[in-house]
Amino acid sequence: MAESKELLHDQYANILRAYLEEQSEQGLYYAQQFSKRVLEEQISPEEVVSLHLEVLEEFFPDLPKGAHESFELLLEVMMGYGLAYREHQSLRDKTKELEAEINVAANMQQTFLPDEIPHVNGLDVGVLSVPASKMSGDYYHFVKDDHDCVGLAIADIIGKGIPAALCMSMIKYTMDSYPEQRLQPGALLENVNRVVEQNIASNMFITMMYGSYDSRTHQFNYAGAGHEPGFYYKAAEDTFEELHAKGIVLGIKRNTDYKEYQLTVEPGDFVVLLSDGVTECRTDDGFIEREAITRLIRTYQHLPAQEIVNHVFYELERAQGFQLRDDFTLIILRRNV
Amino acid sequence: MNLSTEVIEKSDKKKILKVAGEVDAYTAPELKANLNPLTEEEGAEVVVDLTEVSYIDSTGLGIFIGALKSAENHDATLRLTGLNERVKRLFTITGLDEVITIDDENTEEAK
Amino acid sequence: MSIQSSVEVQTEWGIVSARQAGRNLAKEIGFGGVDQARITTAISELARNIYLYAEKGEIVIEAVEETRGTQKKKGIKITAKDRGPGIKNIREVMEDGYTTSGGLGAGLPGVRRLMDDFDVDSVMEEGTTITAIKWLR
Repeated sequence: MAESKELLHDQYANILRAYLEEQSEQGLYYAQQFSKRVLEEQISPEEVVSLHLEVLEEFFPDLPKGAHESFELLLEVMMGYGLAYREHQSLRDKTKELEAEINVAANMQQTFLPDEIPHVNGLDVGVLSVPASKMSGDYYHFVKDDHDCVGLAIADIIGKGIPAALCMSMIKYTMDSYPEQRLQPGALLENVNRVVEQNIASNMFITMMYGSYDSRTHQFNYAGAGHEPGFYYKAAEDTFEELHAKGIVLGIKRNTDYKEYQLTVEPGDFVVLLSDGVTECRTDDGFIEREAITRLIRTYQHLPAQEIVNHVFYELERAQGFQLRDDFTLIILRRNV
Repeated sequence: MNLSTEVIEKSDKKKILKVAGEVDAYTAPELKANLNPLTEEEGAEVVVDLTEVSYIDSTGLGIFIGALKSAENHDATLRLTGLNERVKRLFTITGLDEVITIDDENTEEAK
Repeated sequence: MSIQSSVEVQTEWGIVSARQAGRNLAKEIGFGGVDQARITTAISELARNIYLYAEKGEIVIEAVEETRGTQKKKGIKITAKDRGPGIKNIREVMEDGYTTSGGLGAGLPGVRRLMDDFDVDSVMEEGTTITAIKWLR
């Protein structure tokens, strides 16, 4: 440390001497480079002032009266900057630490979500889930049984970020603990609701939609707990219908029945499930309409399901200037023609 | 986005909380700080006037649920009024209109 | 060498007197210009805390010595004592970014950075004692 201080002293003396001899732009450029050096070495402003005074007194042993004292005053003024600078550095380090911690948590959260989408004969599935920041409050779940029946869930935990993410493990473990009910959406939601109601803070809740698809009969059964409605595309009529399942959000009423709905999926038909991060996209012109989402899906309808969701996300992200306000999850499940 | 609130005391028991702005994750704490104390008064009739509220997100809904539970614990009532279409849809979709009393029209001011 | 001086802090004049006493002693011990400024800034901050939050208290400034083996080191010790309300959450006020008092606003984390050794002891409703030492290198 003492050594590097001496080095800095000599460097500064050279720079100052050269500049005093000839006031060139090059001299000033060296001074600028020197300021980078002192920042790197974490030298605080008051030390730079003191360094300047030291060198100056070496060059001019007989400084006019008051010159020395004026630097003492400047030194005092720079103290506050020095402290603010060090505080800033320490806060920056702390931010880095926090960020690293959140990254670990975010990676862990990823393990709550399915690694891959199960392949089911006759079905084309596309999924995209993107958190607004690092941790997500959106959850989705896929499961396939031996008979090519698919269970799929989408859930949105109130709020976003870390508090929402903490809640997600509860949903994940609850879902995993009821394997036999996977294919009965209403009963599954009733069970999940019981767990959530007992374990969640009074101002929190979770919305969820659960559906099961039997690829032998092409029946799609679903139930919802206050979740943002999805869409159902009817190929024969080339129309989108709202896919809404009535039911209160999870975590509010202890004993709640969830009504089960049924659809017969024809070739080319598809189900769109989404989180409110999709419908609450906000552009400069205000919120986007639900019709805008179906229009977008229509544009890319000829593509495989995964590419549709990718494109829709990209377009919506772009419309918002590549800044997400809320976690975004979009799922498409299509019966192949 | 900003949020402002104002309490109008109609009587000893009846209080109207007028809210203006957007209720989201950032402004929700302020709504909570202003709403919850009203619901903690024994037997209070709390009306929240949302006429000037353009948007509520799920965190905002959570504040109303928390306030409702608090009201129930203190033998008080909570009623919402003046919801625009967007806000009303949110309560309908989430099924929360089953548990929270919501006025069809904003008639509170006339009373 | 003067052993110890004690300054009552009740007004902003008290803050200035404490700074003066600190600078005189720091000079005597042999601290350089930058360190003198650090020590007086630390005294200022501690004295301002007394002035703003406790209304009344004192700053004690003394020369200290420590022997480790054959090494002898000299330093200056500042003790700020008040009978104010006490600090409720010391860890919180020791965090960067907490400072609310305006002005220099370096707060306790700033004092800790300016000095070498630092210690806080606070009892609610009784008062706070803060000690800080800077060693001569």
